[in-house]
Amino acid sequence: MSKPKPSFTPWAKPAAAALFGLAFAGSAAAAPKLCGLDNGKPATGAPIIVGAVVGKTGPDDFSSSARTAKAYFDCVNANGGIHGRPIQYLIEDDQWKPEVAGQVASKLVKDRGVVALVGNGSFVEMTVNAKLYEQQNVAVVASACAVRECFEAKNIASTNQGPVPSNISAVQWGVQHLGSKKVACIGLNIPSNGVWSCNLTNEWLKDKGLQGVSVLMDPGAPDANSALLEAVASGADTMLVSLPAGLAQAFLKAAQEQDLRDKYKWISPTPLYKEGIPQALGAYWAGKVHIAIELTPWNGTGPDAKRWRAVMDKYAAKSDPRDTFSEAGFVSANIFVDTLLKMDPKKIDRANVTAALKAVKNYRSDLLCGPWYFGNADFHQANHASQMVVAEKDGFKSETGCFDVTGKYFDKIRAMEKAEHLTGN
Amino acid sequence: MYGVFFVTGLAMGALYALSGVGLVVLYRCTGVLNLAYGALGAAGAMLAWQLEQWAYPEPVAWAAALAVATLLSFVYGRFLAPRLAFREPVIKAVATLGFALVILGILNYFWVEAPRRLSLSTDDLGLRMLGVRITGTRVLVVMATLLMTLGITLFLNRTRIGLLMRALASQRDLASMLGVPVGRVEATAWLISGLLAGFTGLMFGDLVRPNPGALTFLVIPAMAAAVVGRLQSLSLTLAGGLVIGVAESMATLVHPIAAYRSATPFIVATLLLLWLQRKRRLTFSGQD
Repeated sequence: MSKPKPSFTPWAKPAAAALFGLAFAGSAAAAPKLCGLDNGKPATGAPIIVGAVVGKTGPDDFSSSARTAKAYFDCVNANGGIHGRPIQYLIEDDQWKPEVAGQVASKLVKDRGVVALVGNGSFVEMTVNAKLYEQQNVAVVASACAVRECFEAKNIASTNQGPVPSNISAVQWGVQHLGSKKVACIGLNIPSNGVWSCNLTNEWLKDKGLQGVSVLMDPGAPDANSALLEAVASGADTMLVSLPAGLAQAFLKAAQEQDLRDKYKWISPTPLYKEGIPQALGAYWAGKVHIAIELTPWNGTGPDAKRWRAVMDKYAAKSDPRDTFSEAGFVSANIFVDTLLKMDPKKIDRANVTAALKAVKNYRSDLLCGPWYFGNADFHQANHASQMVVAEKDGFKSETGCFDVTGKYFDKIRAMEKAEHLTGN
Repeated sequence: MYGVFFVTGLAMGALYALSGVGLVVLYRCTGVLNLAYGALGAAGAMLAWQLEQWAYPEPVAWAAALAVATLLSFVYGRFLAPRLAFREPVIKAVATLGFALVILGILNYFWVEAPRRLSLSTDDLGLRMLGVRITGTRVLVVMATLLMTLGITLFLNRTRIGLLMRALASQRDLASMLGVPVGRVEATAWLISGLLAGFTGLMFGDLVRPNPGALTFLVIPAMAAAVVGRLQSLSLTLAGGLVIGVAESMATLVHPIAAYRSATPFIVATLLLLWLQRKRRLTFSGQD
């Protein structure tokens, strides 16, 4: 049904618009901007093609960041797009298989000619494709990086922390607040994930005159009990459960079987900060598992936290998770849109978008504990400040505000940030 | 310390063994290597988890897990498997893989990836042995495996239907010509196998985690146990499963290989296959 067309005299239309503008100026200023140009006009111009590679089907669903980025882009497209041009967002599933990861990235970058990739989340694709992205001069604003190559690539920068800062911030807090002296780092036996992050965690402890020991588990190992017993045999006083949520939960269940809760201190990086975990762990673990979160809590009251939840409610499916990686996907999508809105819409091509994204520095969001940047370095670890929460019976409770991760691994990053003025310091 | 890992490995080994027994019973009678065995158990475990969430009494969850696995196994065995009765063993096996993927797809549709925990009341019972607490579930698994293997062996040796099953296993065509009711006997084998799949799935769901993918692919180490029994011997399958479980657990103590311990089932099966074919030789006419 079409609306009746109002009949205005030629002068009346701008005057009415001006009156409306004046009348609603106050409330428009007060109403928070939801996304992009926020003008309520659907974008109808030539689409800007953007890609994402995620590990959706496989041992775990790692697609929440891209699903959130899609919700945000849908919101942007419904609100003026990038100066009238909609974002066409192509999400590909790498199925946790390196060969598939290579194929889908090649399809996006070479065949579809994406201007950038946004919201990537995977255990395998960055290892396979980092070189392709560099060779093809395409920038990736990732959101759920879990492997070393993601943080040590020229053209990939992620809004999440990855396992190293997440592990070390949990240990740093454990040493300060729980008196941890010897930490067993229970990780996956994947060289660029568990082996790498546990080794760096152990080095951090050694630098402080403390001890760390790696207990590595095969991702396909069915019984967490053996890994638990190995960790117990190490003589550690603290268990750093650095595993994906499902395995971490199985590990804690095995510990509950042995009634080990009060014999050790329990800390974990961000994978355990997931909806449903407190309920799945049960009352036994309430108040005992302290988790470092890579972004800020889901129930944050800052403007971006509110916008994130509002966009998810309006544009995402009910079943799409509202988790840390969703927050990270939202931040990545915002960085991308904010960057493109500053560009000349006629000059949006891969080379210009890559240059513009690499120039992003001191980007602030209340979903992040610190400023974010892309930069031109060969490695990217902009997010290195955390908060701690503790799993309670029915949810999570904040234990700290934001704190920066210390240690020599981060000293060189901070020096680089300072030298290149990336964080406003 | 060795004792602790030995005791811990026994429960997983017992489940490998029991799964292997379920595979062998079916293979001997029908010639089908059922790759959907893990998926049947996964369906049972996920349903049990769901009923627990809906606050149904635990016996209902147990009964539902056993019933759904048995029913799925029966439906496949009664209506689909006979259509492939005269095809090569590999085609029969691949068809069950298709069945497994259908079940897995349905399970993933209803139970998307999320934190879950299946807790049975047997977890609250337990005893201390060699410094480690053994839960009632682990004790139950070991006892049930021993009893069920013994029970099935007696069933095959002492009952008429067991006799018919053995007849089908040794000479299928001849047995059918002699009047063995093939359909009925095979359906019984699918029922028994499905019941065992339901039980092992429920136990794996408790000991590992209620995750459709993880539970479905636990059929692979179970197959290693069945291979140890050469898909014929129940007692060797039992021994194979227990050895694999214990070796996998004790490999934790050997540091250079601890991280690769989940390869144990395949290493044990490969070594055994190499051992069993040691006197065979390939000749121009085939094997001598």
